[in-house]
Amino acid sequence: MSEFKSGFFVGGESCNGRVLVVDDEPDIRKVVRMTLQKAGYDVLEAENGEKAIETINYGENRLLLDVIICDIRMPKVNGIEAIAYFRQNYPRVPLIVLTGFPDTEMATSLLRQGVVDYLVKPVEGEKLKASVARAMEQRELAHL
Amino acid sequence: MTTISPTMSHPQTENQGIEPTPVPLPMRVAIIGAGRGGTALLDVLHQIRTIQIVGIADQNPSAAGLKRAQELNVPVYDRVADLIKQQGLNLVMDVTGDPAMESVLQKEVPAGTDVVNGQTSRLLWLLVQHESTLQTELLHAEKLAGIGSFAAGIAHDMNNPLQLILGLAENLTDETDLEAVHLQARDIIDAVKRTTAICRDLTSYSRRSSLRQDCLISVNGKLDEALKIARYAVALQDIEIRKLYQPDVVVKGNPDELLHVFVNLITNAVQAMEHHGTLTLETKAMAAATQVCVSDTGSGIAPELLGRIFEPFFTTKPPGKGTGLGLYNIKNVIHHMNGTIGLESHVGRGSTFTLTFPGESGADERRTRP
Repeated sequence: MSEFKSGFFVGGESCNGRVLVVDDEPDIRKVVRMTLQKAGYDVLEAENGEKAIETINYGENRLLLDVIICDIRMPKVNGIEAIAYFRQNYPRVPLIVLTGFPDTEMATSLLRQGVVDYLVKPVEGEKLKASVARAMEQRELAHL
Repeated sequence: MTTISPTMSHPQTENQGIEPTPVPLPMRVAIIGAGRGGTALLDVLHQIRTIQIVGIADQNPSAAGLKRAQELNVPVYDRVADLIKQQGLNLVMDVTGDPAMESVLQKEVPAGTDVVNGQTSRLLWLLVQHESTLQTELLHAEKLAGIGSFAAGIAHDMNNPLQLILGLAENLTDETDLEAVHLQARDIIDAVKRTTAICRDLTSYSRRSSLRQDCLISVNGKLDEALKIARYAVALQDIEIRKLYQPDVVVKGNPDELLHVFVNLITNAVQAMEHHGTLTLETKAMAAATQVCVSDTGSGIAPELLGRIFEPFFTTKPPGKGTGLGLYNIKNVIHHMNGTIGLESHVGRGSTFTLTFPGESGADERRTRP
């Protein structure tokens, strides 16, 4: 497994897509990375919304980031604030929420804002991969 | 500073310019008998600011009520005659249940002083016990209501390790590298332990306060424990936490109740800061007292509300977010510990709650419970 620390993607072979995982828990980033890398995705990590915004604004990530998986409850810039930023500045990048706390109202509101999926931990690998695949389709449609 | 004290007549406000209300003369009461009835009466009467307990008498020097009286600075007498000759007594409460005492009191109590004894005294004791049970029930009900707000924090702390466990277990189904298998199995075990710890903390916190006798409590340890619990109710990740702990600070009281007090104060402080700011926890062991201060840099409390925040069912939180019993229960617990609560608050700058307990600092650490 590659030792990719939070933040900056420095290139890589062409793959199924590039996914940014935003979660304050290193364990979560680790297992999501593990699952998605096995499915052929490049995975970037950020430990909070602030780092995620730095990451997406860094170099080629602006253009090449395909999907963002974002937690809600995080320090500094939380998930809600980060998602609002991404929707405003990168409306073509699909967003998946992966949260520890199921909240129907919040889910409805986020889905209305254009979030592709609202997943509640613990989520099975197959379900996560299916969600990312759907998001990738949306990303491709956005490029058309 | 507003001070709510069992020994003070009325709350006083230093910095808000509110004049103290005139105090009526207290009713002067003597208690005869320091068994269970006398102790229960002491505990209730000393909290009522319009009652002054002139003293308590019992022939048995090891009676429980005498020790409690000394803790509350109530004079203790071994001879009933010495107590009832005190000047200006309004009421003598005989809870000995001894018929011989009735005749003694009939002869010796001066005219103008009322006597309560016999079945009346027993009825009074039953009412006091009932009141005490209600207070315990109220504390527990408020604690359970508060645990409802832990849902988001518990879900966060449970579902994160569960995600790790699920992800690793899925990976293990086709992992061929034996070293990776061992590492991931260990990660799973650690995650299970973390999840177990959450359940243990919460079941311990949610239990009914134990009825065991008061003991010495390590205040610093109890504050740390309260932080662990409070983080389920409020997000602490953007709060700077300053701990100004003096070592080995202890107070005497019920550890479960004190934990509940600290959890409430910390939760209120973080809510007042809307999850961004500095929470300061300070403990001080002074010559004759122990102090615990919980400070925030939040919104502060409006001067017109200062006098009401310890009232039952008073809340500034939106419906469903607060019972209005938190500070009321805190006040009751602190009074039971013979302590006081001070509050200094400035709108827009924050609040400091100061708990002051009669000195137990430097006491025998071997009797201290975590």
